[in-house]
Amino acid sequence: MKKILWFCLAMCINCSLWAQTIAISGTVTDETGEPLPGVSVLKVNSTVGTVTDLDGRYNINASQGDQLRFSFIGFTTVTRTVGSSTTIDVEMDSDVSSLDEVVVVGYGTAKKKELTGATSQVRGESIEKMNMPRVDQALQGKIAGVNISTNSGAPGGTSNIRIRGVSTSGQNNPLILVDGVIYDAEGLNALNPNDIESVNVLKDGTAGIYGVRAANGVILIETKKGAVNSKPSFNVGAYYGVQSTARQLDLLNSREYAILKNEAFAAGGQPLPFGNTNLGLGTDWQNAVFAEAPIQEYNMSVTGGTAKSSYSIGGSYFAQEGIVGGPKANFERYNARINFTTELAPRVRLTNVLLYTHEQSSTIPQGGIGSVLYNTVNAYPTEPLRIDGRYSYLDNVNDIINPLAQMANTYNDAWVNKIVGKEEISYEINDKFTAVGRAGYNYALVDTKNFNPLVWYGTGKAPNTARNANLDPVILNIGELEIERGANVSEARNTFFDYNLEAFLNYAETFDEDHRVRGTAGVSYIGNRSMGLSGVGFNIPNNDPALADISANQAAGGFLNNVGSFQTRQRLTSVFARAEYDYKQRYFISGIVRRDGSSNFGANNRIGYFPSISTAWIISEEDFFGSGAIDFLKFRASYGLSGNDQIGLFRYRGLLNGQASYVFNDLIVNGAAIGTTSNPDLKWETTEQTNFGVDATFFGGIDFTANYFIKNTRDLLFQPEVSALLGSYGAGGFPPVINAGNVRNRGIELELGYDLRRASGLNIRLDYNVTFLDNKVTSVPTGLDFIPGAPFGVGGSVATRFEVGYPIGYFVGYQTDGIWQSEEEIASSSVAQPGARPGDLRFVDQNGDGQINFGDDSDRTMIGSPIPNVIMGFNMAMDFKGFDLSANVYAALGQDIIRNYERQQPYANMLSYNLERWTGPGTTDTYPRLTTGQTRNTVFSDFYVEDGSFVRLRNVTLGYTLPRTVTENLKISSLRFYVAANNLFTLTRYMGFDPDVGAGNPLFAGVDNGIYPQARTVMGGLNIKF
Amino acid sequence: MRKIYLSIILAMGIMVTSCDYLLDIEPEYTQDAENFFDTPEDYERALVGVYDLLQTSYLHIWIGEIASDNSIAGGESVNDSRGLHEIDNMTHGGVNTELRDIMRWNYTGIARANYIFEHKDKIDFEGKDQILAEAKFLRAYYHFVLTTYFGDVPLIVDRRLSLSEVSASERTPRSQVYAQVEADLNDAINVLPDQQAEIGRITKGAAIALLGKVQLYQNKFSEAAQTLDRIISQNQAGYDLFPDFETLFYVINENNSEDVFTVQYSGQQGGDYGCFVCLQGNPAVGFHGVRQYTGPFYGDGNSYNLPTQDLYDFFSENDPRREGTILDIDAFISSQPNAGEISYAVGAGGHTGYFNNKYIKRLDERGLPDDDLTSPLNYRVIRYADVLLMAAEAFQQSGNDERARTELNKVRQRVDMPAITSSGNQLLQDIYRERRLELSGEGYRFFDLVRTGRASDVIQGFVPGKHELFPIPQVEIDLAGGNWQQNPNY
Repeated sequence: MKKILWFCLAMCINCSLWAQTIAISGTVTDETGEPLPGVSVLKVNSTVGTVTDLDGRYNINASQGDQLRFSFIGFTTVTRTVGSSTTIDVEMDSDVSSLDEVVVVGYGTAKKKELTGATSQVRGESIEKMNMPRVDQALQGKIAGVNISTNSGAPGGTSNIRIRGVSTSGQNNPLILVDGVIYDAEGLNALNPNDIESVNVLKDGTAGIYGVRAANGVILIETKKGAVNSKPSFNVGAYYGVQSTARQLDLLNSREYAILKNEAFAAGGQPLPFGNTNLGLGTDWQNAVFAEAPIQEYNMSVTGGTAKSSYSIGGSYFAQEGIVGGPKANFERYNARINFTTELAPRVRLTNVLLYTHEQSSTIPQGGIGSVLYNTVNAYPTEPLRIDGRYSYLDNVNDIINPLAQMANTYNDAWVNKIVGKEEISYEINDKFTAVGRAGYNYALVDTKNFNPLVWYGTGKAPNTARNANLDPVILNIGELEIERGANVSEARNTFFDYNLEAFLNYAETFDEDHRVRGTAGVSYIGNRSMGLSGVGFNIPNNDPALADISANQAAGGFLNNVGSFQTRQRLTSVFARAEYDYKQRYFISGIVRRDGSSNFGANNRIGYFPSISTAWIISEEDFFGSGAIDFLKFRASYGLSGNDQIGLFRYRGLLNGQASYVFNDLIVNGAAIGTTSNPDLKWETTEQTNFGVDATFFGGIDFTANYFIKNTRDLLFQPEVSALLGSYGAGGFPPVINAGNVRNRGIELELGYDLRRASGLNIRLDYNVTFLDNKVTSVPTGLDFIPGAPFGVGGSVATRFEVGYPIGYFVGYQTDGIWQSEEEIASSSVAQPGARPGDLRFVDQNGDGQINFGDDSDRTMIGSPIPNVIMGFNMAMDFKGFDLSANVYAALGQDIIRNYERQQPYANMLSYNLERWTGPGTTDTYPRLTTGQTRNTVFSDFYVEDGSFVRLRNVTLGYTLPRTVTENLKISSLRFYVAANNLFTLTRYMGFDPDVGAGNPLFAGVDNGIYPQARTVMGGLNIKF
Repeated sequence: MRKIYLSIILAMGIMVTSCDYLLDIEPEYTQDAENFFDTPEDYERALVGVYDLLQTSYLHIWIGEIASDNSIAGGESVNDSRGLHEIDNMTHGGVNTELRDIMRWNYTGIARANYIFEHKDKIDFEGKDQILAEAKFLRAYYHFVLTTYFGDVPLIVDRRLSLSEVSASERTPRSQVYAQVEADLNDAINVLPDQQAEIGRITKGAAIALLGKVQLYQNKFSEAAQTLDRIISQNQAGYDLFPDFETLFYVINENNSEDVFTVQYSGQQGGDYGCFVCLQGNPAVGFHGVRQYTGPFYGDGNSYNLPTQDLYDFFSENDPRREGTILDIDAFISSQPNAGEISYAVGAGGHTGYFNNKYIKRLDERGLPDDDLTSPLNYRVIRYADVLLMAAEAFQQSGNDERARTELNKVRQRVDMPAITSSGNQLLQDIYRERRLELSGEGYRFFDLVRTGRASDVIQGFVPGKHELFPIPQVEIDLAGGNWQQNPNY
């Protein structure tokens, strides 16, 4: 009633002032003063309206007292009353509420407010600010439920993305789509994080829209696009940084080494190796191996749009050298990108995405026995780096070589050329239906070259390729022939081609104002083709890396040269449908079903159906809901099935790709044998996920999201050990892949966000997320107690397992209970420990039989798990009068790490904790005696397991943006300088280089073989916009 | 209008289901297991696959010696091949990598042979009989190894077991396994030639010798004597003792007249520690090498399988076989002109000062890197001296001391040791002694001690009624459905 009155009143005023129409003009800008094009300017209660131009300017005729309403997506609507002035400039504030943010879901978008599934989004800006080489590194700690662990800190090194826990012993990588194009997790190196508009993560059953590939979650990455009616905006960015190692291990110096070795040899009943132990500090191998290394990036982009087209074009160069290996561990990336959208005809829109990447990388041996850092840690300090002008040999240790010599002789290079693109046509048939057809492709050409020069690392070293220190080649006798085996180069060219053809129809209609129905139905065809050709050429002249090419090979008669090739194909055909309904934007329900057919399975089980259902209730929209402190409150629930078909090709059938070779007439003869034993009944893994969630906003600025999920994965695709009787264990033979085993992940995810905007100009954004995870194996294949994982030490026992009732990859070994202090203690103990001597680790008798059994499992128990109980991320961003400060902290708590980089050899160097060793009764109850003799101290026990929890300040950035008054004089719109540090400090009790120890295979997670640590980086950079 | 949309959706559905044919893709450039045996070459190639597993016989050099009083396990530490250390100490149980390898690899050989027999009637061609005969020999050998180690073992003949059949499998009584082994060997003997064009292929002599050994292991002495005599008396292949014992185990003297049944190795293919079954080289040789040795003649290795003082002292000083069998490393070094420059290291897995001088890495006998794994040195599974000693034992046990002495003294004569004149039980003991003197370091000692009932007298920790057989790996019992009974007292 009131409204009507006002209306009448307004009408009257209108009428009375009708004659005095004047021309109003002005500029609309955002809070930073950037002009806003495309803002709709409407005279209230009229049909008179206009849109701002590229400079944010508008002209409109209005009368005094008229109200002008300025509205633009993503900004708070502004209303101004026309007064006497003919100029009305408007500054619009971006919309504080994140509820209206648009989130990309499968085959469509949704407002965050309306989501029924557990979906998280990270905006491009917060990724950009991290200055990380890879997008997945930038995501660590940003999203609840997403755990990122690092395989290697080396340039070009990869990470593992695990959404809501590890759910299979097989492939755990999520499905990653960049602008709808399949992009595999390993290939993420190719993507420039600066090109990203948003990263959207589908975590729960609603990911089921992607069916048989969705069980590990789905990550949808959108790259930057332009906007129509916007002026070209140029962005130039650059940074340069210096990296160094954040930590060196505490190793023995020469004097300490000599004393401890003498003691160990004496205890082993051997002559003392050092007559004089006063040897000073000796060689610091770590100092020699670690170096400072540069990291740098330069990028430029332009975005904009005309009335019918928009574009975003960019290019960048990134280069990083390694803190170990320098240019031998190098990664360089060139990116070029054209995103272009245009209206081909009314209602018909073409979207074109083209991303080109060129990568050059070099790697050194890392992350295992024989890696540079493993050698560095175990090389003894009494050996100089060089002797007589050559690298020293470290003759006293088997299999450990001079790490400097190793780096100098390593030539591993790779080049990647990758084109990712999409052509998409969308046709708005009418206001209810939109049809979309698209073709996407991801083509990568990967070249590798590996030069193996003739090298002599010292007598008996396994990596020797020469016969002696003179670098004489090994001579081979084949029949009557004598062949020199000189330096060789192996080269490979592999191509990987993924393509998808998709068509879908989106439908939206509202009935009787309150009933909104939306639907999506579509088809998808995804194919994958890869091919490779490789060769090895021997006798590269002069042992010269400059001649390292197969074309230069001088192998006599080509006898040694070797070639290989492979080709694979994989296909997936799918139909999917989604139906959504909501009533009054209050009650939401959505259902999805997808039918997938995968060529990875035999005819018996080729087709799978993956349904899911989700619902939400925005309780804060209810009349009975008192507003109070809570502005918004939504409950969500979802349930769905999804699958995992990533098991390798043709595992359902038996192929003759085993190895069969024997020697007749002194020559190796090749035959045929079955490779992987067939299983025609093979089918996909199924993940069944239930999710309950709450989204809330309170006190006007605090966003809160909580999820509780139960994720059961069943029919795990396993290649478990099978009975010897099947004959699967010949060369190149593998057991059949079968469906057996279940895993359960349960967890709670909380996300808290806080936005503060003060009139003084102080803006603060705080985000905190935490994930509690419980991972448990609930079933293993029949007949197996467990599936063994990673070994401990050299030729040692299996230290990790996949076993019912335990987390995936838990550590199994002997539990220790101090140190045997005396013979009397050993003799009088109720538990007999065979071979125990005073100073040895005292093991716990788990089965209570009064005996420590080393021959079987009866006294081994769980002594650790590589899976964190809690992961947390804290992100802070604030700006004030041109200054901006941001920080990112990541914490992973409760996981353990196996210290597996100590070589148990008489002469290998040791960590300095050995200074605290047992030397007599009462000296220590923690560190065992040293001996070169027989001892059980080296069997896998909790002595080798450390708490891997850590809290890391991953990034802190301080920037300053010049005031506009200054930049306007410079004819640019903004100029920002910043300094930043990555990996500035880490709080951890872990002794190793880096507690962030990941592994692609979940059974090898948390096993530290001397991981290449993530560098500490200090950098400075600038961003210019004009 | 709505009907049109409905029909579009319907059309999409039909389109995709009809697109399922796209999923019918075949693997490229590779043959399918069920689509094979179409040419004689296919049979030949499958046979190479059966031969392949012979190269895993290097394990017997380790286990047969380390389990006995001849040698200790050695190595970098007691955790370096823990299974061997346990066998050394007679503490081995149901968890043992090396024993599991024996089981897996020999059954793989059997499965690969049976794969041929499954398809033996698919085509006919000249030479098929010989392929089948070689396959039968190999199947017999693998079954023989299995029953020697484990006693009763599932006998699988002429077909491969499927995944679903495993849980119903049972351990076949040893006598039935032996019967099948003998039948297979007799079939092979009937077809195989005395000499093969290609070195390395199984000959009739090898099959007869193995049959004799199999009979001896069953204490069928007169049958064994008769079988082995076929080689000695007829000697169609011209077997003879190689004159120089000390260089008998050099690569240059391979495949000589003394070789009856030999596993061929090659140094021409590299290898890595991740896959021992993939190797074409003999890993035992590099592993026996002197740890971090720098010096002449020998290559460095992993100090495995170290002969004991007891074995060294067993030889008389003038028996050249002592030097031929055992390397006394310190004595060797001090005899060198540049002794001061020669060095080696002692592994924490044990040290005796002695190394296996038959199968040891020598500098000019190395294969490709990593040459710890790629020795070309063949493993002589049965050499003529063994045939003579087995015959001597079989003759003695079946009452023919005269022939027993004759064959025994042939072996002694080669190394200029005085002839044995004893008879009766003393002669039998002399034959046993001679087996240790002649064959130590070759992987027979433990099995000889067991089959002649002497193991508990000389092996520390040997429990009669238990250690005659190795335990079936527990995991294999579990994987086979858990129905098998473990060997007694394990």
